[in-house]
Amino acid sequence: MNSRWFWHGVYALVLLALALAIYAASRTVDYTWRWDRVPDYIVAYEDVDLRSTLTGIVEISDGQVDIIGTQDAAATETFGDLDEVLVEDGDYVFDGDVIGTRSGWRIGPLTWGLVVTLQLSILALLFAVPIGLLAGLGRVSTNPAARNLAATYVELIRGTPLLVQIFIFYFFVGTVLSLSRMTAGVAALAVFTGAYIAEIVRAGIESIPKGQMEAARSLGMSYGQAMRHVILPQAMRRTLPPMAGQLINLIKDSSLVSVIAITDLTKAGREVVNSTFSPFEVWFTVAAMYLVLTAGLSLLIRRFELRLARSDG
Amino acid sequence: MSAGVEIRNVSKQFGNGVQALDDVSLSVAAGEVLCIVGPSGSGKSTLLRTVNRLETVTAGDVLLDGESIHTAGRQLNALRQKAGMVFQQFNLFPHLTVLDNITLAPLKVRGESMTTVKPRAQSLLDRVGLGDRGNSFPSQLSGGQQQRVAIARALAMQPDVMLFDEPTSALDPEMVGGVLDVMKDLASEGMTMLVVTHEMGFARAVADRVVFMESGRIEHIAEPENFFEPASGSRLDLFLGQVLR
Repeated sequence: MNSRWFWHGVYALVLLALALAIYAASRTVDYTWRWDRVPDYIVAYEDVDLRSTLTGIVEISDGQVDIIGTQDAAATETFGDLDEVLVEDGDYVFDGDVIGTRSGWRIGPLTWGLVVTLQLSILALLFAVPIGLLAGLGRVSTNPAARNLAATYVELIRGTPLLVQIFIFYFFVGTVLSLSRMTAGVAALAVFTGAYIAEIVRAGIESIPKGQMEAARSLGMSYGQAMRHVILPQAMRRTLPPMAGQLINLIKDSSLVSVIAITDLTKAGREVVNSTFSPFEVWFTVAAMYLVLTAGLSLLIRRFELRLARSDG
Repeated sequence: MSAGVEIRNVSKQFGNGVQALDDVSLSVAAGEVLCIVGPSGSGKSTLLRTVNRLETVTAGDVLLDGESIHTAGRQLNALRQKAGMVFQQFNLFPHLTVLDNITLAPLKVRGESMTTVKPRAQSLLDRVGLGDRGNSFPSQLSGGQQQRVAIARALAMQPDVMLFDEPTSALDPEMVGGVLDVMKDLASEGMTMLVVTHEMGFARAVADRVVFMESGRIEHIAEPENFFEPASGSRLDLFLGQVLR
């Protein structure tokens, strides 16, 4: 028991030493840490200007501001709950004038980046799973056309860098089919991840004993029926853990689409660095945000696996 | 209900050049129980598996109820329904309950409704002595129980012929009896049965004819009373000497 605590202590000490080393390293380059700048880019509490959309006369009663349109008297606009009122009763305001301010929480660019990253990853996954399933089934097919097509797809995608694929999708496929950045990015990620899912599916199918297919076929099931009712339900259960791992990889890989100007977490990080001149803090923060996402996911997955293991009949 | 099987000049050569079956012909009448014995590697399982084309042939054909299995195109799946198969390793579907194992093929292949299939499945389970295990998963059953479920699963498709591929070889000795009893029961009802087995007692008691295979050929075929009294010094005599000790 004592020795266990000792090694936990060693672990903590090593981490501490690493942190100190990072700090010391930053001292040698004369860097001023400005951590206080970072939170504003995650969420900020700030004043928001509220602007009139009408041209008209201001009427104020109990702190509530009404604008009565001068061109069309039926058009009115009401502003309530203002923290600061910048107009007076009877003022003549034009379309676009600031009426007052209201303070509130505003989501910062890093959080938006995180949302975009999640959006990209989930959309790409939704397309990657059917692509991968189809290609995986092709890999184990006895039909040479299906088998070779699937093998070519997997080899092509796994043999080239994702960054290059993203450029090809954006500059070639995107131009030919006139895709938006986001569509091109999602497509590149889906096609890339699909190849890895295909291999996971193939491994899952091949892990099911041959006797299962034989038993199903001997009962008169077609190949498709046997796959659907007997092989795939068993294979899918086995492929859930690697599939979940692939989702985590996808989240990390999605950072590469920032090169085609999609404002994901990484691109947001770059933009925030440009406006704060605090690259150290921002990149550490971005890394931590990715880590929160992936660690949270793997925790969820582990729970899910435990539940599956328990219900494994 | 019952139908015959005719194996015509079947040869099978594996990709590695091994001749598994060498011009085998065999005719099994409707209602007949035929046991196939022989040393391992003699081709008896391969022969059985050519009957429903789990194994393709290099030459020859198998007629099931008069219809060709090895030239069948789209109707192969329909033909296969006529031959129920029981495997050495049971091959139950582990992700389904016992009842779902039995009802899956009738529901999905024949498009029967649950209201007709479920009572049939239940009565089959009662018949193999597992009427109360319908909601269990295969992993919760003993080997012998799993094999009996596998028999019920095959019977649920109402086959004309039953193929047994060493159905008791993977079982603990105390489990063998229950499975053999179900098979005897089936034989007494007039089911056509092809049984690859090492159970000489079963062959002697139940079979109408017994086939001895060696090196992909039928060496000897006879009624049990003659089969088990071979000419001394023959290959069959040597084989029986080894298995009966």
